[in-house]
Amino acid sequence: MSQLNGSRKRKLVTRALPDVRDDSDELGDALLGGILSQSDDGEEFDDSDDEEEDGEEEDEGSEDEMDGEEELESDEIPSEYGEEDIREQIRNLKTADVESPKGANGRLVKVNGAELPQAATGALGETNTQDDIEDLKPNYTVTTDANGNPRYLYQEIEPGYESDDSDAPATVNTIGEIPLSFYDSYPHIGYDINGKKIMRPAKGEALDALLDSIEVPQGWTGLTDPATGKPLELSREELEVLKKLTRNEVPEEGYDPYPDMVEYFTSKTEIMPLSAAPEPKRRFVPSKHEAKRVMKIVKAIKEGRIKPYRPPEETEDEDPKVKRYDLWADEAPRPDHVMHVPAPKLPPPVHDESYHPPPEYLPDKAERAAWENTDEEDRDREYLSRDHDALRKVPGYDKFVKEKFERCLDLYLAPRVRRSKLNIDPESLLPKLPSPDELRPFPTACSVVFRGHEGRVRSLAIDPSGEYLATGGDDGTVRLWQLRTGRQNWSVKFSGDEAVNVVRWRPGTEAFILAAASGENIFLVSPPIAGKPDVERSSRDVLDAGWGYAATNGASATNGPAKKEAAAKWTRPGPQLEEKGVLVKITVRSTVKVINWHRRGEYFSTVSPQGQSSAIAIHTLSKHLTQLPFRRLKGLAQSAQFHPSKPIFFVATQRTIRSYDLARRELLKILQPGAKWISSFDIHPGGDNLIVGSYDRRLLWHDLDLSTRPYKTLRYHKKAIRAVRFHQGGLPLFADASDDGSLQIFHGKVVGDLMENATIVPLKVLRGHQVRKELGVLDVDWHPKQPWCVSAGADGTCRLWQ
Amino acid sequence: MSNPTPAGDQAKVRIQLTTRHADLGLPQDTGPLLVSTSLRRIQLSSLVNNILSTPRPVPFEFLISGQFLRTSIDDFLTRNGISAETTLTVEYVRALIPPTYVASFEHDDWVSSVDVLSASSPAAGWAGADIAAGQEKILSGSFDGYLRIWDTSGQLVATSSPTSHGQHPIQSTKFLSPTKLVSAGDDCCVRIWNHSNPTNTDNPSATASITPSLELYGHHGAINAISVHAPTSRILSASSDHTLGLWSTQKSSAPAAPSDLFPENSPSLTSSNKRRKISQPTPPPPRRGPLSLLTGHAQQVSSAVFAPNDASVAYSASWDHSLKTWDLPTVTCVDTRTTAHPLYSLLALSGITLLAAGTSARHITLIDPRTSARSIAALTLRGHSNAVVALAQEPGSWYGLVSGSYDGSCRVWDVRSVRPGGADIGGGQVGESVYRIGRESLGGKREPSGGEGVRVFGVCWDKQLGILSAGEDKRVQVNKGS
Repeated sequence: MSQLNGSRKRKLVTRALPDVRDDSDELGDALLGGILSQSDDGEEFDDSDDEEEDGEEEDEGSEDEMDGEEELESDEIPSEYGEEDIREQIRNLKTADVESPKGANGRLVKVNGAELPQAATGALGETNTQDDIEDLKPNYTVTTDANGNPRYLYQEIEPGYESDDSDAPATVNTIGEIPLSFYDSYPHIGYDINGKKIMRPAKGEALDALLDSIEVPQGWTGLTDPATGKPLELSREELEVLKKLTRNEVPEEGYDPYPDMVEYFTSKTEIMPLSAAPEPKRRFVPSKHEAKRVMKIVKAIKEGRIKPYRPPEETEDEDPKVKRYDLWADEAPRPDHVMHVPAPKLPPPVHDESYHPPPEYLPDKAERAAWENTDEEDRDREYLSRDHDALRKVPGYDKFVKEKFERCLDLYLAPRVRRSKLNIDPESLLPKLPSPDELRPFPTACSVVFRGHEGRVRSLAIDPSGEYLATGGDDGTVRLWQLRTGRQNWSVKFSGDEAVNVVRWRPGTEAFILAAASGENIFLVSPPIAGKPDVERSSRDVLDAGWGYAATNGASATNGPAKKEAAAKWTRPGPQLEEKGVLVKITVRSTVKVINWHRRGEYFSTVSPQGQSSAIAIHTLSKHLTQLPFRRLKGLAQSAQFHPSKPIFFVATQRTIRSYDLARRELLKILQPGAKWISSFDIHPGGDNLIVGSYDRRLLWHDLDLSTRPYKTLRYHKKAIRAVRFHQGGLPLFADASDDGSLQIFHGKVVGDLMENATIVPLKVLRGHQVRKELGVLDVDWHPKQPWCVSAGADGTCRLWQ
Repeated sequence: MSNPTPAGDQAKVRIQLTTRHADLGLPQDTGPLLVSTSLRRIQLSSLVNNILSTPRPVPFEFLISGQFLRTSIDDFLTRNGISAETTLTVEYVRALIPPTYVASFEHDDWVSSVDVLSASSPAAGWAGADIAAGQEKILSGSFDGYLRIWDTSGQLVATSSPTSHGQHPIQSTKFLSPTKLVSAGDDCCVRIWNHSNPTNTDNPSATASITPSLELYGHHGAINAISVHAPTSRILSASSDHTLGLWSTQKSSAPAAPSDLFPENSPSLTSSNKRRKISQPTPPPPRRGPLSLLTGHAQQVSSAVFAPNDASVAYSASWDHSLKTWDLPTVTCVDTRTTAHPLYSLLALSGITLLAAGTSARHITLIDPRTSARSIAALTLRGHSNAVVALAQEPGSWYGLVSGSYDGSCRVWDVRSVRPGGADIGGGQVGESVYRIGRESLGGKREPSGGEGVRVFGVCWDKQLGILSAGEDKRVQVNKGS
C-alpha cells in the first residue's frame, strides 16, 4: 500500500513540479535553500512539503481552524487520508497535465535533454531517496554556465553495492536512438562513454568460419608426450575413454551403468491369487459350537460346578498312628561320637562369592593367613570372601588389568606358563644317606669330665695305647690323665708363664713320649708312669740317643761349614724338669703352634706361623737335628702334617694346602679349599682324603684324587672351626671342634673303589663345653681304637665322649 | 585254708602261685587260687604268708609275666590287656626292700672300690670265720693310694702303710680273709696286705694296721680290677696292658718276680737320689711274679672274675667288646663272646649261669657264657645314663644285682623283671631297674652332666650292711633296705 502510495506520490511529485515552479517565484530562495541543503534525495521533503502545502492548501481551502494541529496532521496524512489524498492528487494531476505540460517538459528537457528518460531519472531519484534517507549531502555543485544560467555539475557516482541499479536495464544501448542497421557496414555498433568503439559481438557463422578455416589433424590434442617429446596423439577409442573418465563413467567398453532391472520378486500385484475361492463366510462369523461350549462352562461356573481356583490339597495328612519325634528339639552340643547324629545343617544362605556374604563364609584370621601363605597355584579357590555393607562399596576388581594382560599373553604366546610342578617329595630327591642309628658306634654323650686346668685347655692328645690323655693349657702345664677314670696322674709346669699350645704323643707303644710346645720351646717328655719302668726306659733311650749323635757328628758338623744360626737348639731342660720326666728342650725361633709326628716316630714337624722362613721345621729325633725345609713360604703357615703312608708332606697356609714329595723334593699338589683362613687339617688314615677346618666356619672334605677343590663343604657351625680330626683306628669317623662350644661327629666312609665317592653323614652334635671369651672347643682327639673322642674346652675342662 | 571267702560282687581271677625260691616253695597240693582282682601286693603277700604259714611274715613281690605288680590285679589286667578268665601265673619273690641312706664314710680322695667283711661275705665264708653282727669291716681303696678299714659305726679302724715307691691310685681291693687284703691299682702291682686286728682286750692303745706282705709284679699296665678266690689261693687281675694275671697268694707257690718291673728300676727314680732315700726306710715286702699272664684281649681288660661254682674257670671282659672264658689250669681261652660295646665291668651271677657286663654304652648286658647259648645278650638292663663300671650281686639271691655307674647313681635290678625289647636293641629282653640310689653328697640336686664329681667307682652288696658304693665324691655311701 505504502509502495503504491509511494509510486503515486512520485507521479504526484513529477506532476506537482509545475506547482512548485509556480510558487518558485515567491518562495524560490526558501525552496532552493531547502533543496540545496537536502540534495536530490531529499525529494521526499519536497513531497512532504508539497503535502504540507497541499494540506495547507486544503486547510486553507476547507477548514482554517486546523492551524494549531498542523504538524500532527502532516504526520498522519499518508496513513489516514491515503485514499482521499490519492484521488485528490489524481485530480490535480489531470488538471496540472492539462494546465502546464510545457513548463514541465521544458525544464526536463533542459536537464536531461530528452523526455523519455525523465521518468527513468525520476524513478532513479525516487529509489535513491528511498534507500538513503539519511544521506542528505548534495551530489552536485551549482555553477553558472556561459549563459549565466545555473549549471549543475554532478559528482561522479561511485558504483558500489549500495548503489543498486539492478532495476536499470542490463544492456544499455549507448548509441542513442539510432537503429542498429545504420552500423551494419561497420564492425562496431556504437561508442562508449569515452568515445571508443564498441565492437560488434562475434556471431556463430564467424566462429564456424574460423574453425572451419583451421584444419586439425586427426588425433591432434595440442599436448606433448612427456616421454617422447613428440606431439601426443590419441586415438578415437582413447579419446572416448578419456571422455568417459571425465564424466565419471566406467570407461569399460560395453559397460552399462543402467541395466534393466530383473525382477526376481514381482513388484506388481498379480491379478490372479493362488486360490481364487472367496473367503468363506464362516471365517467372519463366530463359531456356534464354540459358543455352545463356552456357554456350558459359563453355566457351570455360574452354578458353582467349576471353581476357577482351588487351593492345593494338603496331601501329607498327619497319620495319627505314626508317632513322630523331634530328635533335635533341645539339642545341646555333644562330643563327636558314631552314635551321635547331629542335626542336619542347612546350607547357609546365599553364597560365598557374594559381596555381602553371610558371616559363615567370611574367613577368619587363620584361614586368611593360610590362604595368603599358600602358593597362588595351590589355592583351592581364587578369591577370599569379603564383606561389604553395600554394593556401591565394593571396590574395583584389582586383578582386572593383570588378567586382561595375561589373556593377551595367552593369545599371543599360547603356552605362556609351563606348569612344571613336580609331585615329588623333596626328601626323596636327597641322596640316600644312611640313618645315624645304623652307623653306630659313635660318641653320643659325655662320659668323663677332666677338670683341673686353670684357664683354657689348648690342646690334648690320647696316647697311642688309649689309656692316658695329655693336655696342655694356658696355665703353662701339661697334665696327664687316666682316660677311664678321669684321674690326673701327673703334671708338669714348664718354665715361664707361656701357655702350652700343643701336645702330641709320639706314635708307637714301645715308648711313651710326649711332645709339648710352650712358646718357642718344644719339650719332649717321658711322663713317669708307675709300674712301667721298662717303657720309661725305652722312652729315655729314644730321647737320649740323639745326644750322642749331636756330641759326635753334630759337633763336627757345626764346626765345619755351617756358620749360620742353627734352626733350633737342642738342650737339656735342667734338673728340675728332668726329674719330672722332661728330657729334651728344643728352642726354635718363634712360637710353635702345631706339632705333628711322622708315623714312625722318628721325625716331627713343628709350625710356628710367625716364623717367616723358619715357620716350618722338621726335627729328627734320633739325631737331635732340626731342618727348615722351606726358605720362603707363601702366606702364613697354619699347619703341617706327614702323609700317613707315603713320603709326602702337607703344609697348610691360610688359603691353600700344598703337598710336597719329600723324596724328590718337589711340589706335588696345591689344594684350594676355598676357605678364607684354614685353622687345621687332618689326613685320612688311607691317605687319599683330607679334611680342612677353617675359621670361616667351614669344614671341607678333599678327595686328593678327585680335584684340588673340596669334594664337600659342610657348614654346620655357627662359629669358627678350631680343630678337625679323623679317627685313626679304623672307624669311619671324624670330628670337628668349634668356637660355638660344640663338637660335631661325622661319619666319613672312604671306599677303596675309585668310582665311589666318600659317604659323609653328620652324626651327632656334642654340646657341653661352655663358651668363654668367644672361645669354645679348642681341640679334639680320637681314642686310637674306641669310638670315643676327647675335647679340650676354653672353660678349662676336657671331656671324654663315648 | 587256701581259698579266701570271695565277696559276692567282686570279680575273681584264677592265679597260680609259683616261686623260684626253694625254701619258700608252696605245698604240692596247692592248685590255682581264685582271688579277687582288687587285691594288691600287700594282700597277696599276706595271702602267700598265710599259705606258707611262715613264722614271721616275709614281704613278697609278685611278678606277672615279667612285671612287678605295683597296682591292684584289676588294674594290672586292664593295663596289659589280659583276660581275667585265664589262669594267671604269679611268681612271688622276696621283696627287695627299698634301700635307704644309712651313712657316708668320708675319705681324702676319690674312693675307687669297697669291700665288706661280714658273716655272709665270701672272705669270711672261705676262712670259716664267724663275724659277729656289729663286727663287720668295710674296706675301701682310694685314689690316694691308701686302703682304709672302717667299722660299721663309721669309725676308721686302720689305714694302710705307705708303699715303698710313692702312692698310686688303688683301683680294686678285696678281702682275701679276715686278716688279708688284696689291692691293685695304677702301679701295676698286686699287693697282699696283712691286716692285724688287735682285740680290744689285748691292748687298747694298739691300733689296727695294714702292712704289705707280698707284692706281685708282672703287669705292664694299670690294673683295673681284681678277683680273689681264697680256697685255691688265686688272684685274678685285669690289666690295661690287655692281659689277665693269675697270681698265687702264697709266697712259696709264686714264681719269681721280673726285676725289670720293679719301681726302683724306673729311670725316673734312678736319676734322682732323693727318691731313693725316701723309699728306703721300710724294707720292701717280698716280690713275686705271676703264675701266668693270660693274653688274648686286644684292648684293656676291664674286669675278670672267677666262675662262681668253679674256680678253675674265669671270665674276663674287655674294652675290645669281648667276653672271654678262660680255663685257668691250662691257661687257655675257651670261648669268646663279642658284644657290641666296650665292657667296663663284669659280674658272674651265682645260681643262674649268666654274666652281667656293664658297658660304656650305659647299660648292663646279661650274657649266657655257655657255648650252647645262641643269643649273645640274654637280657639288657637299661636305665643308666653313663658307663656302668661296677656290679655286685645281691647276697642270698640269684636274681638281684646292683650296679654303679659314672652317672652318679647305683641301680638295683631284678633279672626276673623283664619284658621283650624292641628291635633297636637287637631283639633281646630288656629289664628295668627296681630302685635307684643317688649320691647323698649332691644334697638332692640333679647329677651334673657326665656325673662329674659324683661318679660311682665301686659297689658292694652285703647281707648285713646293705649296699655300699664308693665314688668320686670321696665317700663310701651305705644304703640299706630296712
